[in-house]
Order: sequence, then C-alpha cells, then structure tokens
Amino acid sequence: MKILLIEDDGETADYVANGLREEGHLVSQVASGAEGLICAMGNGFDLLIVDRMIPGLDGLNLVKSLRAAGHLTPVLFLTALGGVEDRVSGLNAGGDDYLVKPFAFSELVARVAALGRRPHTTVAETRLHVLDLELDLLSRTVRRRGELIELQPREFRLLEYLMRHAGQVVTRTMLLEHVWDIHFDPRTNVVETHISRLRSKVDKGFEAELIHTVRGAGYCVRSPT
Amino acid sequence: MSVALPRILRTSSFHLTLAYAGLFGASVLILFGVIYWATNIYMANSLDAAVDSDITELEDSLQVGGDAALTALVMERVRQMPYGPMYYLLQDPNGKVVAGSLLPFYGGEGRFDLKIPRSGAPSVPIHSRGIILNDGKYLMVGVDALPRREMHKLIVRVFGWSSAISLVLAFGGGALMSGGLLRRIETISRAARDIMAGDFSRRIPVRGTGDELDHLVASLNAMLERNEAAMESVRQVSNDIAHDLRTPLTRLRQRLDLAQRRARSVEEWRGAAEGCVSDMDAILESFGALLRIAQIASGGPARRFAEVDLSELLCTLIEVYQPMAEEKEQRFTADIVPGLVVWGDRELLAQMIANVIENAMKHSPVGASIGLTTLQSPSAITVTVMDNGPGIPVADRGRVFRRFYRLESSRSTPGSGLGLSLVEAIAALHRVSIELTDNGPGLRVTLQFFAPDQQTFAGDRLAKHQTRGELWVVSDHPPVVSRNTVPTASSEY
Repeated sequence: MKILLIEDDGETADYVANGLREEGHLVSQVASGAEGLICAMGNGFDLLIVDRMIPGLDGLNLVKSLRAAGHLTPVLFLTALGGVEDRVSGLNAGGDDYLVKPFAFSELVARVAALGRRPHTTVAETRLHVLDLELDLLSRTVRRRGELIELQPREFRLLEYLMRHAGQVVTRTMLLEHVWDIHFDPRTNVVETHISRLRSKVDKGFEAELIHTVRGAGYCVRSPT
Repeated sequence: MSVALPRILRTSSFHLTLAYAGLFGASVLILFGVIYWATNIYMANSLDAAVDSDITELEDSLQVGGDAALTALVMERVRQMPYGPMYYLLQDPNGKVVAGSLLPFYGGEGRFDLKIPRSGAPSVPIHSRGIILNDGKYLMVGVDALPRREMHKLIVRVFGWSSAISLVLAFGGGALMSGGLLRRIETISRAARDIMAGDFSRRIPVRGTGDELDHLVASLNAMLERNEAAMESVRQVSNDIAHDLRTPLTRLRQRLDLAQRRARSVEEWRGAAEGCVSDMDAILESFGALLRIAQIASGGPARRFAEVDLSELLCTLIEVYQPMAEEKEQRFTADIVPGLVVWGDRELLAQMIANVIENAMKHSPVGASIGLTTLQSPSAITVTVMDNGPGIPVADRGRVFRRFYRLESSRSTPGSGLGLSLVEAIAALHRVSIELTDNGPGLRVTLQFFAPDQQTFAGDRLAKHQTRGELWVVSDHPPVVSRNTVPTASSEY
C-alpha cells in the first residue's frame, strides 16, 4: 500500500515509517502540514497517516482542506490528543480512524490494513465467505459446511466484522469500537470471552479452525494454511 | 487619604463629579439669569408707575389751576424732597428753568435714564420721563433708580456666593466620594496582588453594606474559592503523579538494571524487554487515565451533552460483561426499566458504569452474584450495582475515590487505582450522586441521575462540596432502594 506519513517528530516518524515498510508498505514521509497537503493532493496515495499537531497547517485543517477539495483518500489520525472530544472532532473533520499515542505497533498495522481494504467493501456484498463458513447479510444467517449456526445478534456483528476483514488482524479496540460502540479500553478481558464464545459456536467440532488469536495483536479470521 | 491626588483626578467617579458640578453650575446660572431678568422688569415697571402717577397729578394741576398752579406744585415738591427720591424739572421752550431740582436739560419726550452727578458722592441714577406740555413747556419727572441698582448688585452677589459654595461642595463631595471608592478598589487590588504573590487563601473583605461593590466582591471571592479548589485538585494530581508513578518507574528501572547485569542470552533480553514494555504500558495507561480525569474535571465534555438512552446503554454493557461473569462462574443479573433517558455523554457514562461493573466483578470471588437494577422516580433515575463480595469497610468508602488509592486487601489484584477516581469525575460532570453502602455482605454502589429540575439542587450540593476542596459527590438523603443500610460513607464526608 502507498502511504503518506505526515508527522513532525523525526523519531516517531522513522519508527512508524520503518515499521510499516517492514510490513511491505511504501511509505513517504513529510514533516509539515503545508507540504503534506500538497503531497496528499498529488501523488495517489492509498492512505494518509496524519499527526494532529504539526507545524504550519495542523492535521485537522489539513484533512478538512483535503476533503473540501474532493479527495477521498482514507485518513488515519495519529495523535497525542486522546480526549473523547478530540477523537470526535478528528472524525468530523473527515478522518476515517483515530489512534492515540502511545500505541502498540500491532494496533497501527491492523488499522492501516483495515483502512486499505475499505474501498473494496463499499461495493454492496450480501455474502461473506471464509473456507466453508458462510455469512448471509440479508437473511442474517451463518452456515458452516451448510449447517446453520445460531448466533446472538451481537455475535453475528462480531463475526461479520471479523469476516469483512478476513485475512487481516483485527485488534481488541477495533472490535470494541465497531461491534459494541465502546470507545474506551476496559481493563478486563471482555473481548476474549466474547471471542471464545463465538469460537465455540463456529469452530467447535470442525477440524479447521477459522478464528485465530494473533498473540499480542488481536484476532484474525482466515482458512488455516 | 493614602491615595495620591493625581490618581483621584483620573477616577471615573471624579469625572462624574466634575460633570455634575458643571451641569449644576449651568442650571444655577440660568436660574439666576431668569431671576435677574424678572426682577429688572418688575423694578422698571414700578419706577415707571411712580413717575407716571406724578406726571398725571402735575398735568391735573395744570388743567385745574393753570400754569401758576403747576409751577407752585413743582416748587412745593422740590422743596419737600430736594435730594430725591423724586426729581423735577419744568422749563420754558427757551430752556429756562421755571421750577425744579435739576439743571436745565432736554431729554425729549419719553422715558430715559440719566445720572445726576453729586460732589463727593457717587452719581445718582434716575429713571425719568419727559413730556411737552400744551403751552410748550417741558416737564420732566425722575425717580431715584438706586434701589434697582442695589437689587442688581445683591442678585449678582448672591449668585456669586451660592455658585462658589455649590462648586466647593460638588468638588469636595466628589473628591471624598471617589476617595472612598478608590480606597475600596485599592483594597481589592491589594488582595489581588497578595493572591498573585501566592497567598491563595486570601479573600477580599466585604463591607457588609450590600451595595453593588459588595456584590462584586462576593462574586470575586466565590471565583477565588473555585479557583483555589481547582488549583488544589491540580496540585493533588501532580502530587499523585509524583508519588505514585515513582513506584512503577522505579520497578521499570530495576528491571532494566537487572537485565543489564544478568541477561546473557537473546531470550533473556527479549523477556526483559517484554516485561519493560508491559510496565511502560501500565505507566502510560495511568497517565492517560489521569489526563482523562483532568479533562473531565475541567467540565469541557459537558458541551457535548445530549440525550442518552440509559436503558440501551446498560443493556449493551450487560451484554458485554455477561460472558465474562459466566467465565468466572459469577451470576450477573440485571433488571432494567426500559426507556430511561438521561442527559450526558454516552461514552463517558458507559465508561463510568463499566468501571463500576468491572470493579464488582474483579473484587468478588468466584461464584458470587452481581446485580444491576434501575429505578425511576419522579425526581431521579437510580442505577444500583451490587455484589456479595468482600465490600469496602465504612472507613475506606470515601477514600476509594482518591487517585491511586487501593485497599490493602486488593493490592494483589491488577489495577491502577484510578478506576473509581474516573467514575467520580464522570459522575461529578453529570451531577450524578454516588453512594457506597453495605450490601450485607458486599458492596452496593448507587448512582443517582437527578431529573433536570432537581439537578440544580444536586448542583448546589456539588458546588458546596467542591468549595471545600473535595470533588466527591455525596447525597444527604438515604438511598432510594436499600434495606439494611448502615450509615453511608457520605455522612462522614
């Protein structure tokens, strides 16, 4: 993926850029808002990672200007401003996701991957498949090898989110945000328990495990390799 | 007066005084002008009348007794009053004086003023009228106009004195008034300087007269009170950070130090690094929580308040935590009245209730029961979370809301000691009262959302507690849904 990183702190920028390069992304670095806006408008990036507090044009206004000019490139805000209000204003300005510093690198990688996939999922899909697991979005049913699996509404949403990002790592916080609309990190292992329940319904009794735990990062739905 | 004069001259009250003095002076001037004018007319009329009646009398004598009678009458008059107040002149057409007390003179017909020079004394002004008689003789009768002049002088003198006195009064009074005002303002600015110098408990003295300046001082004092409380809480936070983050930072340092000295293999280094990262995460999380508490305590998020479907929110949270409770073999039951709506921030309220639920689950043993109930009354919506765990001793119930405070008994369970501080900050922002009571056994946490008209009441209490430097919200009345309650923690705070 071609990524533009707009971040003024050199050390953080290198850390993020190098890490993403290791993940196989093509990363360009820019340290000021004005420069960032010019680059973002021109070079056909797949994703922008924008720091909120940068010299010149600040991140929020940069994204506003970009959106006003009709550019729809996904934007991930990276910021030390972690208040609820800051997140809301960031998303209102046209940001697609928001990650508060300090962050775990795996969280960043997962979110970057999720944002990169976004344009394809806007095409209306009615069925999601992973190996022999099938989720029908219209009838809201789940079948594995043709067998109906009974799921609670929230479990359905959890599985739906995981399957929409099949093959990608999805973090605990991403699940909390998108499945339960909870924007704080509970100190307890809430997500784990929900995943293990889902796993017991989806994977139990089948030899191929589809819901995988990625240690230190999150979860992933994919066919076993 | 301790105030320098030039400063008085610059005060607004002095300027006001000056303006009033000017206005007052102008109105006095107009008043005296009118009096002067009216008096003048009156005096002139009376002088005219005196002259006219005399002339009429003389004309009558001419008609009745002829020339001789007139001459005799004039001479008689002159003899009676040679020096006024009436003066006469009768002269023939050749200008020869027939009779009279004046030198030959021709002033023509009509009224006119003239002066009679006197040796060794000021000349006498007279107001006179001359007529030409049928036989061509000229008759002039004059009256002493000195009273009129005296009256004019008197009026001018009175005017001069009274305006001088009123100006002195206006300026003196103005100076005194602005001096008094300045002194009081000086007191306020002295207090402000003291406060700037670091004496934050300093307040501005109130005079007790209940005037507008007293009202201002009272508002300023209330503001200072609030600021002091806010500063105190900031100071508290920095103290907390200094003291309580030292421990994990020290631990982190020890771990690194140990790795430096002991670690030999890559595996050992990796293990040490992992440990450091998780220590660091815990520290950063504490920082995040502290910042969040500070942000909430600043009241900023209240701007985004909207209606929140509390029932829906509670159901979501129960759904989130239910499986976890089951995993711990805890019974989590809920009784939620549908359609409860409160005013607030959904995310913060979710966090507040989640923290309370997590707290109950974390501190209750395997197999415990946890219950969540709601109750709606006309004045309040009550959410109660109860468990049958170890509970919190009465003496500790106020302290658990302090930052980093952890009960001795729970030191071993993971946690930053900031969860309930966050709960308290969110509750304070939403004017929700929190009560910790005994569930016999266990803990019962009661959260009360007051109806809008009751909120001011709750808000007042909140303000009262804040001014005492405590941010923890308490309720003075017994909880709505409790039996077997021992005196609440709130009664001690």
